[in-house]
Amino acid sequence: MSYYLTTLLVYGGVDVIACLGLSQQFGIAGVTNFAFIIFQAAGAYAAAVLSLPPDSANGAFQTYVGGWQLPFPLPWLGAAVAGGLLALPFSILVGRRLRGDFAAVGLLVTAVMVNLLVTNYRPFLNGDAGLALVPAPLSNHFDPLSTRYQWGYGAVAVLLALLVYLFLRRVTESPWGRTLRAMREDDVVADSLGKNLRSLRTSALVLGGAIAGLSGGVLVGFISLWDPAAWSFAESIVLFAAVIIGGLGNHTGAALGAIVVPLGFLEATRYIPTNFGRPGLVPALQWVAVGVLIVLFLWFRPQGILPERRRRLAGLAEAATPAPAAVPAVALTGRGGSAAAVATGPRPSARSGEVVLEARGLGRSFDGVRAVDGVDVAFAAGQLTGLIGPNGAGKSTLLAMLAGTLPPTEGSIVYRGRDITRLPAYRRARLGIVRTFQLASEFRRLTVLENLLTAIPGQRGDSFTGALLGRRYWGAQEKAAIARAEATLDRFGLAELADLYAGELSGGQRRLVEIMRALMTDPDVLLLDEPMAGVHPLLAHQIGTLLLQLCADGMTIVMVEHELGIMDEFADPVVVMAEGRVLAEGTMASLRSHAEVVEAYLVG
Amino acid sequence: MSVFVSSIAFGLVAASVLAIASVGFTLQFAVTNVLNLAFAAVMTASAFVAYWFNERGVSIWIATLAAAATGVVLSVFLNRAVYGPFRRRRTTPIGIVIVALGMTLIIEFGTQAIAGPTNVSYRMSQGRTLALGSFRLTLAELAIILLSVVLMLAVHVLIRFTRLGKAMRATASNENLARNSGIRTERIVTITWVISGALCGIAGAVFGMDAGTFGATSTDLFLVLILAAVFLGGPGEPYGAMLGALVIGLGTEISAAVFVSDYKDVIAFVVLLAMLAVRPTGLLGART
Repeated sequence: MSYYLTTLLVYGGVDVIACLGLSQQFGIAGVTNFAFIIFQAAGAYAAAVLSLPPDSANGAFQTYVGGWQLPFPLPWLGAAVAGGLLALPFSILVGRRLRGDFAAVGLLVTAVMVNLLVTNYRPFLNGDAGLALVPAPLSNHFDPLSTRYQWGYGAVAVLLALLVYLFLRRVTESPWGRTLRAMREDDVVADSLGKNLRSLRTSALVLGGAIAGLSGGVLVGFISLWDPAAWSFAESIVLFAAVIIGGLGNHTGAALGAIVVPLGFLEATRYIPTNFGRPGLVPALQWVAVGVLIVLFLWFRPQGILPERRRRLAGLAEAATPAPAAVPAVALTGRGGSAAAVATGPRPSARSGEVVLEARGLGRSFDGVRAVDGVDVAFAAGQLTGLIGPNGAGKSTLLAMLAGTLPPTEGSIVYRGRDITRLPAYRRARLGIVRTFQLASEFRRLTVLENLLTAIPGQRGDSFTGALLGRRYWGAQEKAAIARAEATLDRFGLAELADLYAGELSGGQRRLVEIMRALMTDPDVLLLDEPMAGVHPLLAHQIGTLLLQLCADGMTIVMVEHELGIMDEFADPVVVMAEGRVLAEGTMASLRSHAEVVEAYLVG
Repeated sequence: MSVFVSSIAFGLVAASVLAIASVGFTLQFAVTNVLNLAFAAVMTASAFVAYWFNERGVSIWIATLAAAATGVVLSVFLNRAVYGPFRRRRTTPIGIVIVALGMTLIIEFGTQAIAGPTNVSYRMSQGRTLALGSFRLTLAELAIILLSVVLMLAVHVLIRFTRLGKAMRATASNENLARNSGIRTERIVTITWVISGALCGIAGAVFGMDAGTFGATSTDLFLVLILAAVFLGGPGEPYGAMLGALVIGLGTEISAAVFVSDYKDVIAFVVLLAMLAVRPTGLLGART
């Protein structure tokens, strides 16, 4: 009975650690790592070969690499390192351009294949028979079979789970964690705001992998054997089920899920006599039940038992003393000040009229359809250039190419004398070229305030190390950033909504969040794709006025808009596009007298 | 050399089985944008239904019809009752993939709960062996190849020369536009899943024949082969899937003969990862 309880305790600790690792990867960062279990396996094997004697020692009944007989706790550390290192090659698969479900399939298949290879190749890790007689930690000091040792092991496993939980809380509840969640909500948008997706995903994979590896190390020290059957790809699905059922994006939920699904459901019942039915019936039904749980939860309660907590940050800045080492633009914050105070960059602003961004012979084909066909156009500082044209004229495509969301098939883009044609979107955003999207692109499960905060560049806590250093390191700057974001919300009259999820807002409000978020990046060039669509005319007018003020301070703005009244009022010059080409350019007034333009667009 | 030639014969049989499955899988993706990872599980369930009839004295070739019917019922159920509702709720592609994995567990281990954990074999005659030098095929293997060729031709005729095929292509290319053009896309999608379900069931039965013995979880690895073939040709491209199946089928069997048979599926895995990393739209798919 005591053995049964201590086994449950160890398995509980191990499952909680593993689910926390997956929660970080999948729940927070949105990386669907269906190969998760091979990271646990890597940790278990690493701990085994680090603590086992050389394979010749015990009559060579099993063959493996290593056999270094390292003292505790080195095998456990090695387990975490092995899990983390194994994650590195996977950064190729989770790179920027691959559809999420395709990347997930790649990972799933990798898990199946790695298992197959380890099963079939005996010299490496003893093939399908697996490793046995793995020494228990500190077995030269204690008797691993004693009740006290087993209870102690259980206590250590639970303590480690707690430590992992606290560690993950620390790095998740930070600007870095917020960026990961933003990437989870919409990676293309995060990219356009200057977030390096590949590096963010790789760090999420390495972190989760190291935690998974540690869980494997702890497990193998207790059960003393490890074989390929213990880590079939279906085991990954069990952990996914646990995290989904517990609550995506909530580490406490993941820990709860670990106790409910793998522990309560699979491990605990393993020790209950299964005298009914034919052999194998109960395990098969358990798997069926895991599948049923996944599907039912995703349908009836996709947020899980403990849903992700809403981060209420509004008002936190009230008590803040302005930090000297603050975000660059924070110093320029002034409640109720002029619109220009929302964002004025530290970068030397161009003289008004100087060309800042230029497309040269820019083109893009989709399946032979030339959406944009050799466009030459220049955008000057201090001007709000309008971009109009009928549907399918190539306006949004042009904007996407300028921002780097879409690679052009021909031509080049020059920004302040520098060819940026091949520069990825996040690098352009960091240079100061920021876009908004035609379709709703708010980070739905981030609050309005968080949406704005995510966009602020140069935050101290917006990296893994920064997050690890803790609130003491980035807290003051965070308060200043919150104050700046709240000032912007105030200006747009949305201060009341600061702590609502952006996904709960009306269509018009979402457009505003998007514009505000883009302004928070402190852009040099702002590319707006139908920013006024669905916005109340009065508010649209206010936004237009604000944009003009920003231009007066040297910002370059390009705006796609169908509402010609807005163009009349705010845009000068206006570029007319039709069928992928620039048809004409000039003031709205001059364009209205342009026969071709009238024919193509204005009359319709 | 003779090993090489005889492995081509094995490869042709493997490619035939794979082609039936891959075309079914890719058709489902084409019209619904769903990567139905439960496809291989439905194959297994269908193979076991065929086994049930086969055990009761029905020829396996007749029992294959029962497998096809099972494939149709399960696939249409999956699309109408599971993926469809999730899709209408705008669940992300990732969410659908997780649902598909959940359904895989349900179908695969449901089959195991009913049929038991032991592997089974069909009662069938392999027939005479036809030999052309070291190129050898049994009559049963030849029949599998012919069946596959006939099915591929049927799919080709359907897609290219019928109104239904035209509507399917239109739906695959742009569902909204197709619907607005007066195509009853809902119906077209269901018919496509009926056809692909039948292919899935038949693939299950011929997989069972080709494998010799099989169990409820035997198709886990076969799913890797299906995915490799589908992604090689481009997901949603029926002709791509045929080409992919031929390359992967021959590739795995030839590499098994030339290297070690334990690792024959690794080539499929390498192809799949390479395609995902370099050109996820496949050899015949559109450029992104």
